[in-house]
Amino acid sequence: MTTQTAAAALADGPVAEDWAVDEIMITSLAAHFVDGDQACNGMASFIPVSAFMLARMTHAPELVWLASAVGLDPRPDRVPASTLEAPLWRDSVMYMEQFGDFWNYALNGRWLQKFCVGAAQLDRYGNANNSFIGTDYHAPKVRLPGTVGMGDMGSIGKLLYYWNPNHNPRSLVEKVDFVSCAGYLGGGSEREDLGLTGGPQLVVTNLCVMDFEPVSKHLRLQSVHPGVTVEQVQAATGFPLLLPDGDVPVTAAPTVEQVRLIRDVIDPDGMRKREMGKH
Amino acid sequence: MIQDKRASLAEAASLVQDGDVVALQNMATQLAPMAVVRELIRQGRLNLGIVGLLAGIPVDWMAAAGVMDRFIGGAVTMEQFGLCNRYRKGVEAGAIRVEELSETAVNARLGAGARNLPFLPTRGLIGTELIGMDPDNLRLIEDPFGGRPVVACRALVPDVAIVHAHRADRAGNVQLEPTAEWPDLGIMPKAANRVIVTVEEIVETEVLRRRPDRTVLPGFVVDAVVEVPFGAHPTSCFPFYGYDSAMHLAWVAAARDDVTTEQFLDRYIREPADQAEYLRAVGGATTMLALERMEHA
Repeated sequence: MTTQTAAAALADGPVAEDWAVDEIMITSLAAHFVDGDQACNGMASFIPVSAFMLARMTHAPELVWLASAVGLDPRPDRVPASTLEAPLWRDSVMYMEQFGDFWNYALNGRWLQKFCVGAAQLDRYGNANNSFIGTDYHAPKVRLPGTVGMGDMGSIGKLLYYWNPNHNPRSLVEKVDFVSCAGYLGGGSEREDLGLTGGPQLVVTNLCVMDFEPVSKHLRLQSVHPGVTVEQVQAATGFPLLLPDGDVPVTAAPTVEQVRLIRDVIDPDGMRKREMGKH
Repeated sequence: MIQDKRASLAEAASLVQDGDVVALQNMATQLAPMAVVRELIRQGRLNLGIVGLLAGIPVDWMAAAGVMDRFIGGAVTMEQFGLCNRYRKGVEAGAIRVEELSETAVNARLGAGARNLPFLPTRGLIGTELIGMDPDNLRLIEDPFGGRPVVACRALVPDVAIVHAHRADRAGNVQLEPTAEWPDLGIMPKAANRVIVTVEEIVETEVLRRRPDRTVLPGFVVDAVVEVPFGAHPTSCFPFYGYDSAMHLAWVAAARDDVTTEQFLDRYIREPADQAEYLRAVGGATTMLALERMEHA
């Protein structure tokens, strides 16, 4: 299902007139998490956490959410300041022990099929870097935090959903300085040839939604957010954009009800705004 | 008669030698054995290799104080409080060497260490450049049974593991309140040669017998158990207390400058002689009581 049709399916009711960029990122991502999925989140993941909470309140009441990869089916009263800490996992049904338990479910292949990834750099074939900027691993220009679970999720058959609230030529690059999360590697069949299944599916940014062209595995513009031009997206992207056939669609705007849920119920403290405009 | 493993912070920290590989419990802003970290800095330990899955302020403090020269693990960040900039500068200047691992690779390396195996495999990391950066510890190998290749992760046996928990008895049997059980406590103490545990309170064994399902570490693996109330501060120890935002923000501000970094280390780490003095320095009962708690449903 494309973002367009998936978003349309849940967009019951009138479109909001005053939606914000963080909200269209949340609704665009939420459309891809449906009943029958299990989703988990990592640290500093306000957009994905808001998307999971929104999906559970609207089109996907049976979406299983494992808060911080720890708390099963939690009931936080709002998005807190940390997405890796209590009280995000308030009222959970289970605390999943990490070493012995969580990774059994994550590595098994039957569960937790979709994973949201945020990274400092993403390239045209969906490879991500959160290790370092520069050319020398032992003498980096900038040492980034590191990869943790991302270094696994790209290699174990997961469907990856990238979110990037700061779409610019430094974060969307032709080639990452270092592959710390495997996407489609050099493109084409390279990922498949290595025996890896799954892979990047979607990139949701503050300007647009992108998917991957099925043969070349090159990032491809799927839709621009209302009011954004293709030229603006191109100027903010560090490599030539691949365009869809025909006119470039416009991303479905959030509905009045979605905006109300995000602002009043899910994230009244506006934690999601912390991700925006950092660079 | 059970062995009494109780020790002072100074005695416990003396189990760590210069150059040791130290496995440190910590998930970003959560549950780090901070009292021991401060004691290691006070005692002037050098050249430590720190093992962590997702380490935050303790690694930044140790980087700032010059007690570490290696990090082996997943990531170093204080999440909402940003990058650990003293650690970052140390790496960028070549003073700290990083052996970056994915989460399953940390688990596999420590898991192999715990079980006395040469390595354990993972399917993570395949396709990434991390494998090539660490050939001493990560190798793509054939599946002897004919399946797809896997990554062999060499056993890691830390010299010391340091963890913090809610309670223990004097024998070092460790018990948790209902809380997130991160992999650190699940594997680090089982892989390491020596184990230091700090706890919010040391209780009679009878207290543990009421909830044996909450006991997560047997005393026979523990070398020293130290009672340190608020021993994880400024990281969190839910459900008892949350992380201290003000302290993290104060550190982020101080860490921007060499002079203020040293002032911070002196005021909060080098000068307080014990946990009581430390707690007074960071604001005493007013600060501790203001930290968020979490009630269970």
